[in-house]
Amino acid sequence: MAKLVIKDLHAEVEGKEILKGINLTIEQGETVAFLGPNGHGKSTLLNIIIGHPRYHVTKGSVYLNDKNVLEMSVDERSKAGLFLGMQNPVEIPGVINSDFLRASLNAHREKPISTYNFYKMLDSSTKELKMPFDLATRSLNEGFSGGEKKRNEILQLLMLEPKIALLDEIDSGLDVDAMQTVAEVIRKEQEKGTGFLIISHYARLFELVKPTRAIVMINGKIVIDGDPSYIKRIDQTGYEFIKTELGIEIEKDEVDMNKVSIGECGVKEIIR
Amino acid sequence: MKNEILISESELLKCEPIVLSLKENETVQINISSNDTSYIFVRDFSIGAILNIHIKENAKLQLSFLAKNVFDKAEINVDLEKGAFFASYFADFSKDKEKLKVTIKLNGEGSSAYWHLASLTANKDNKEFNININHNAGHTIALSNNFGVSKDESKLIFSGKSAIYKGSHGSHTRQNSKIMVFDPSCDAIARPVLKIDEKDIEASHGAVVGRIPEEHLFYLTSRGLDESQAKRLITYGYLKPITRGFIDESVRNEIVELIEGRM
Repeated sequence: MAKLVIKDLHAEVEGKEILKGINLTIEQGETVAFLGPNGHGKSTLLNIIIGHPRYHVTKGSVYLNDKNVLEMSVDERSKAGLFLGMQNPVEIPGVINSDFLRASLNAHREKPISTYNFYKMLDSSTKELKMPFDLATRSLNEGFSGGEKKRNEILQLLMLEPKIALLDEIDSGLDVDAMQTVAEVIRKEQEKGTGFLIISHYARLFELVKPTRAIVMINGKIVIDGDPSYIKRIDQTGYEFIKTELGIEIEKDEVDMNKVSIGECGVKEIIR
Repeated sequence: MKNEILISESELLKCEPIVLSLKENETVQINISSNDTSYIFVRDFSIGAILNIHIKENAKLQLSFLAKNVFDKAEINVDLEKGAFFASYFADFSKDKEKLKVTIKLNGEGSSAYWHLASLTANKDNKEFNININHNAGHTIALSNNFGVSKDESKLIFSGKSAIYKGSHGSHTRQNSKIMVFDPSCDAIARPVLKIDEKDIEASHGAVVGRIPEEHLFYLTSRGLDESQAKRLITYGYLKPITRGFIDESVRNEIVELIEGRM
């Protein structure tokens, strides 16, 4: 059984500290709902686990069983069984989706998959996700709708069968039927023993995939690690109880205003 | 304007393909008769070779090049009459120093042209592709797509001018030039020029020279591809669309092998 163990993790982006001491364990077979207001570090944590070069770990550790994840390259993390379903999957013109899927699949295998078996697998996976097969023959994510991009992320999850899957707002952009389809795939993967850490702002997905735990991140720290009842509570009342019951002030996601100067045209506009 | 203007494959398959080899400093004149549809495949293009083509009224020509040998100082000159159509695919896997000059003259009302170049430079290759399109009549359409990959200490230049001259009202022209740079010592330049002497036209150009975006590499590596596999996949995707311009399956496969081999 794979176990992802994060200890005292601190990280920054462009000199700003985002994560301020994360302690978290996720095991295969668990599904953890990851909650928290925007801008408090949830996506940062997922990106750091998978190795995004923009983020820098300043302290702490991440281990997958006995392997030091922070010492692995991004592709090694994937091969070790980690997967990130991205919030905004990039569009890569020219790279055909099926070529990419096959290359990814082969990167996880000792022997390359045969053409016949690959297309058989692709066909059954796209059918399971109710995706038009032609999405597999188009450029990777190029011209895909928001919902199609998210389904394509789940398609990769389905084909790569990771041990621990991190899903970053995988439900945004999905209509009701698509969310049901995606949830069914997640449920099947849960039955196979995949561990999930799922970020979502909506209780609907969590109602469908039934998390075993819920964690809440505030100000770059996990302040609640408890049972799934927190999902309903936060959905109904928001994060106010964090302040009233735990005494934690929730920092606002403030952006400094750039220095501006009003030129002549701007002044005229104001006078008018 | 669409990203590609094509003669349908079924239409091309009906015509007898002509395979050409041009020797050093050889000049060849080709005339396409009115209303004909022709497909010419140029397997060898040599130093100083000149290919002059005249496409008569309502005729269509697809001209595809697989350039593996040196063709420095070569020229392609194309004149189109009323309603004529010209599509050209130039797959360049040559090595060393090259300069190709292409001039396409849309002389007849409603004539149109599509140019697609894929070039890969490596080591100390030094190549310039100078693509010029002249709109000399009304309602003419031209699209020029140039894709390059530059590695090692090579130099790659995409230059040329798309000109819409007086009297060419209702014409459309578009130039796309993209060069992907792999190494810091590469020299890559995309220099598109538009010259417009007429109103009531559409003209645009886009030029991009740069390295593979970090986010693209991150995405692909996060699915298990190592960095070199990811770069290969991106490059392959960048150059492979040129194969659409070749009818013969064995030539398409040869191009794919050349891309993979040189990566």
